[in-house]
Amino acid sequence: MSVRYVPVQWNRIKWVYDGLLVAGVLAYLVAFLQIGAGMADATRPVDGAILRMRAFGSCAFFLLTVILCIGPLARLDRRFLPLLYNRRHFGVVTFAVALTHAAYVLGWYFAYAPTPPVAALLSSNTSYGTALGFPFEALGAFALVVLALLAATSHDFWLSFLTAPVWKALHLMIYPAYAALVAHVALGYLQDVDNPAFAILFGGGALAVAGLHAAAALEGRREARSAGTWVAVCAPGEIADKRARIVRLPDGDRAAVFRNGARVSAISNACAHQNGPLGEGRIVFGCVTCPWHGYQYRMEDGCSPPPFTEKVPTYNLRLRDGVIEIDARANAPGTPVPPLDVAGMI
Amino acid sequence: MIGAEAGQDGGADLRCGRRMAVRRGGTAMTAALILAGQVYLWAGAAVAALFLTWGIGRVEPHARGSYLFRPLLVPGCVLIWPLVLWRWRALEQGRDAGCARHRPPRVAQVRIGVALAVLVPLILGLGLVIRQDGPRERPPALLEAAQ
Amino acid sequence: MAAKEPPFFIGWGKMPAALRDFTIGIGLGLVVLLALAGFMVAATQNDPGDGAVLGGAAAVGVLEAAPYPVLHVTDSESFAAGTALLLSGVGKRGVEDRAGSLDGKLVAVKGVRLARGEIEGVQVSPGADGMVEADGAAARPVAADLGRWRITGEICDGKCLNGAMRPGTGLAHKACANLCLIGGAPPVFVATGRVDGAEFFLLGNADGGPVTQEVLDHTAVLVEAEGRVERRGGIHVFLIDPASVRLAR
Repeated sequence: MSVRYVPVQWNRIKWVYDGLLVAGVLAYLVAFLQIGAGMADATRPVDGAILRMRAFGSCAFFLLTVILCIGPLARLDRRFLPLLYNRRHFGVVTFAVALTHAAYVLGWYFAYAPTPPVAALLSSNTSYGTALGFPFEALGAFALVVLALLAATSHDFWLSFLTAPVWKALHLMIYPAYAALVAHVALGYLQDVDNPAFAILFGGGALAVAGLHAAAALEGRREARSAGTWVAVCAPGEIADKRARIVRLPDGDRAAVFRNGARVSAISNACAHQNGPLGEGRIVFGCVTCPWHGYQYRMEDGCSPPPFTEKVPTYNLRLRDGVIEIDARANAPGTPVPPLDVAGMI
Repeated sequence: MIGAEAGQDGGADLRCGRRMAVRRGGTAMTAALILAGQVYLWAGAAVAALFLTWGIGRVEPHARGSYLFRPLLVPGCVLIWPLVLWRWRALEQGRDAGCARHRPPRVAQVRIGVALAVLVPLILGLGLVIRQDGPRERPPALLEAAQ
Repeated sequence: MAAKEPPFFIGWGKMPAALRDFTIGIGLGLVVLLALAGFMVAATQNDPGDGAVLGGAAAVGVLEAAPYPVLHVTDSESFAAGTALLLSGVGKRGVEDRAGSLDGKLVAVKGVRLARGEIEGVQVSPGADGMVEADGAAARPVAADLGRWRITGEICDGKCLNGAMRPGTGLAHKACANLCLIGGAPPVFVATGRVDGAEFFLLGNADGGPVTQEVLDHTAVLVEAEGRVERRGGIHVFLIDPASVRLAR
């Protein structure tokens, strides 16, 4: 919501969020390297480099698993929205952990050879035709490149510059990356380790991601569809004060119809920042407030209050037989539309 | 599949260096991939230098007079420079996205989420099915007695 | 209705107390869960075995260059006479280039001792004194043919298996093992049963030379392979037919 870009827009919640994040990563690494490793059954200890590549690699997997659970969890239960608020920092930290893992792998398994490390990574195992012995490193490398891409484009500048839909499409690559990561572990370390504890933790995490995404997809199916130019929304009294009703329009776009006392207005449901669901937000200090990052808009013209400059499209409304109807054709972002007066109908 | 070349030179020369020579510098495909990657990243570096010093202020009003955050954008420019050029051009020509900015790839997101929900259990299943838990103690079989 | 709904969260605003407690609870819970996961993954790792780098060593013996350089010790403070040493170079390299001209001669070797179970090896020093012809003469051990066998086991690189890496076996290590073999390190077949009392075999091709590239597709998993087994002094050599290698079921 900045007027001018800064490296990171810090606030108290972000400090606490990042503090807990770093604490989680340190807790994992210390528990792995300082406590757990010493208790493993070993005639002679595992090489330090291999131990650290296992620690950082498994840590990155669990971090990405948590990240991918946050989206569907917030959809299913709004109390998880604060976890979504600073998820990009979570992603950047995960990339750093994964990169450390890769550095240990390249510096140990693929170093000290006549073949240069990256060429060695890509060419020393070419059994692509078989599942057992598959070059799972390539899958990990793909996931790492995607994480790098997403971490590198996590600044708000990229959202504004690329536009939120393009940015989001780019960031959807996290899904194939996660599938590749699961395969990287399933065809690699999972094949070697004999104790079932790892399989249970790894499988449990991956299945949690799968299950939550299936549940969130089912939840989203309950939305009604509509047709025609003017689409019926509901009676004014059915919208709680300072809340919205989300309407899915015939072209697939969504509008949020807000009521503020006796006045009703409609704006796009997609926030200008990251396309967050404005209709799940509330009117705070007279402005529609996005539930994801707190971006605000005036409901009568879809503009952020000065000095901010974000704009969302607005929609025309009318009343027919005591029911609000919305014009499915969006107005250009920031177009003023007089609110509908519904006094006496609530 | 790899053995084809080995069969040809294997008979005459028994040296390991010869037999594995094809793989020492990585395969030709690997070399091509690495070269392509390097060219892509160098092109990205050039785009980043140009965009972050000159272009960004022309197309992003909020970036004018703000320099501290620009180094953070270097990795992104290097990695997705074709997208940077595409948006730069669109904004220079005054073609802002308008209402398209408010059309998130929602359907694609749900579909990809469902695909992940299906794929992950399959991958886990494959990983567990192919696991070799044995044979741990299989006695060797004599096929032909010593001469 | 409002009372049942969760409080509204605005990142830049003050967080409602109920939501703050829930969020901090989730955050701290995650920290604890991560610590537990880290501990569990670390504590349940496989035993990497007893392969180890055991410091400097020197030996004099008869060098046999094929399929991979082996020193049959005649005199050493570190090794008993008759011990066969698998020779490797620094890093993921073999010493084939240096050993070629010394085949069958008495050679003095200096380097770092690698050992695992009953196999012994030396990472030969890169300096000029790492591998030199010694004064005197000795005959290479006579090879005893033990017949043609089908053996189940894992194809490893003899350097990492021997302690250069711990663990130096398994699928996570496969690409590294291949890299070692490409570099010329000696491959070792770790069998699931014994032939003539041996469970580790230096691997070679059926023609008596080093293994071919086909073998790289079969490393690090349990396979069945067929070939002649020979006892050469203190070591057993398995000369495989690459076409016979298949996944063990």
